[in-house]
Amino acid sequence: MHLTLVGLSHKTAPIEIREKLTFPANRQEDALALLTSTDDVVEAIILSTCNRTEIYAVTAADTDGPGAIIDFIADYHDLDRHELVRYLYIVEGDAVVKHLFRVVASLDSMVVGEAQILGQVKEAYEQGFEYQSTGRVFNKLFRQSFEVGKRVRTETAIGESAVSISYAAVELAKRVFETLEGRTVLVLGAGKMSELTAKHLCSNGVCKVLVANRTFARAEELAAKFEGTAIPYEKLYEYLGKADILISSTAATEYVVTKEAVAKAMRGRRGDPLFLIDIAVPRDIEPGVNEIDDAYLYDIDDLSGVVEANLDERMREAERAEAIISEEMAAFEAWLESMEVVPTIAAIRSKSEQIRQEELERALKRLGGLSEKELQTIEKLTQSIVNKMLHGPTNRLKGVAGERYGIGYIEAARYLYGLDSNPDGKNPHGGILRHLLRKKEKAADTKTEMGDTVV
Amino acid sequence: MIEQLAVVTRWFSLALLIAATVLYAYQLLMKRETLAWWARFLAGAGTLMLTAGIGFRSTVSNGTELVGPHNTLVLSAWAVLVVYFIAEHFMKNRTYGAVLVPVAVLLLIVAQFLSGAQPSGLTAAALVQLDNWRVGIHVVLIVFANAGFFVAGAASLFYLILGGQLKRHKTGPLLDRLPSLAQAQMIARRAVVLAFPAYTAGMILGTIRAIETDVGGFWADPRVMLSGLVWALFGTYLFLLYGRGVSGRTASWIAIAGAGAVVALSILARTLPVGFHIFAL
Repeated sequence: MHLTLVGLSHKTAPIEIREKLTFPANRQEDALALLTSTDDVVEAIILSTCNRTEIYAVTAADTDGPGAIIDFIADYHDLDRHELVRYLYIVEGDAVVKHLFRVVASLDSMVVGEAQILGQVKEAYEQGFEYQSTGRVFNKLFRQSFEVGKRVRTETAIGESAVSISYAAVELAKRVFETLEGRTVLVLGAGKMSELTAKHLCSNGVCKVLVANRTFARAEELAAKFEGTAIPYEKLYEYLGKADILISSTAATEYVVTKEAVAKAMRGRRGDPLFLIDIAVPRDIEPGVNEIDDAYLYDIDDLSGVVEANLDERMREAERAEAIISEEMAAFEAWLESMEVVPTIAAIRSKSEQIRQEELERALKRLGGLSEKELQTIEKLTQSIVNKMLHGPTNRLKGVAGERYGIGYIEAARYLYGLDSNPDGKNPHGGILRHLLRKKEKAADTKTEMGDTVV
Repeated sequence: MIEQLAVVTRWFSLALLIAATVLYAYQLLMKRETLAWWARFLAGAGTLMLTAGIGFRSTVSNGTELVGPHNTLVLSAWAVLVVYFIAEHFMKNRTYGAVLVPVAVLLLIVAQFLSGAQPSGLTAAALVQLDNWRVGIHVVLIVFANAGFFVAGAASLFYLILGGQLKRHKTGPLLDRLPSLAQAQMIARRAVVLAFPAYTAGMILGTIRAIETDVGGFWADPRVMLSGLVWALFGTYLFLLYGRGVSGRTASWIAIAGAGAVVALSILARTLPVGFHIFAL
């Protein structure tokens, strides 16, 4: 088994390429099923955000894991493999662990220290877990990565100087409007990113929020959060002329806001600026909109330039975060080593043998004056008891090791036999239980949730 | 004694305004808010000193002298400072101080160099004709209107610079110090909205006085014609902006052209001693 990562991010690929390689949430089930349908890929998780698309996989040791994943991406998106490879990076082995921890800690983000990536990785993991594409390695790796994210956030000041894509959008809006008090913001698409940006804008004084979404009920739901107004999607352009700021984050694959429509909406505004924030990937707003007088369009890539000023401070904190990651990496690698079935069984046997020897020695001291034959009989008796006691658990452990939830049994065995020090005294299955509970809550939420997908 | 006070206060005001200019520039580059406070304090003190200096001078001469390049430049500097403080009071943005206070300083320095200069073609008869309340109000209105147009031009320039930066998605520490796009636009609009009626009134009063004193062909005077151009430019600005809803960028270019015409008019008033209107801006 081998850890493999193939991906691309804002560092390696422009938005034109990234938007072609997204895996929206509603298509992840198919994608994961397809990816894990071959023997090459044992476990897989697809992380698809605005700034990166990464496929994490546990691949069979004797196969070309990266090749299999690249082929999958190329086939899935119907792209030329050779063209695609130019933008991809391949990470293997321990470096995958480090990469994931750095991603979750937001050290690899466009805006170092932004908090959204942790939630996005959690969502990606939950999708994988739900669609049964994760196994023992990824269940542990991703759960530990969330701990890493939490530690980095609480033990360093990496997130204190508030810099994020949505914050950058607010800062830019202030450069256009000075103060956001009394301004009207039109939110297009009821996704989480637009909600977050709208929230930032409202906390900075925006008084009127209009929400347009293909699903009107979802628009109403989001509008209610800001005491705003849901508007019919068809009347989008009519309201565009009345807005000061437009935030767009839909899951549409074509441009939703065109240059022609914005030009029309700009007429009669008496030069009042319109600030357009396109945080969708693929983009919602036609890039040519920026050529229109008084219209200022920023897409997800443009927003990165705004936050550079705060990066130096964050980079200093990032050094501390790297130290945390090193610690956690060592812990994960130790776990990974210990979680092999053979070492676990060997450790159980070794511990049992040690106990047997100690108890036998103590008993023999008390008995005294036994013959050689009697000694051999007692020796064999204790060995036989231990072997018979361990036979069942050992066989069952070997049997479940290859199964999807085998990690749980191995963890439980190590816990019950006290093979690992557990200073926190935490039940190793608490995480699984919590996860399952969250899954139930999420399932209940998704029944009522409709609208656009956030990337 | 009062004459001496007038001279001393003028020099003091110039020194204070130069100090304010240095502090404004420094705070603009270094983002030191405490310096901005001191810059504003010094600029305010300099403006008060300049006001006092003009007052002492007026006392000595039994009325404010409006004739000659020195006096008109001093009045223009004062008007620019007053307009700046009004704008700063409402907009709370000190970036304009970094531009307008140095402009006032420049005008005062040039005024000092031209302190002895008198319009060459100004006769005793003309001086008598100028000694009229209409002329006084005409000059004050035109000076303040010009200051307003200049502020509108500066704000429009900021608008275009900031708008260009935002269009190109470029940021920088200096950009952070510039006023926002909407604020620059608002200052430009308000400055023109206030200055244009003043300029119109000033022109009407000047025209009335010219007709009263029977100045033949006054309308053909190059500076009168240029002032007509300034009026037409800012009239177009208002018409296109409020009547036709023209873009902020187009409006800004018109305002800059208008402010450029104001500056050109000021220079021509001194370098081309032709026509009847040789004594003013």
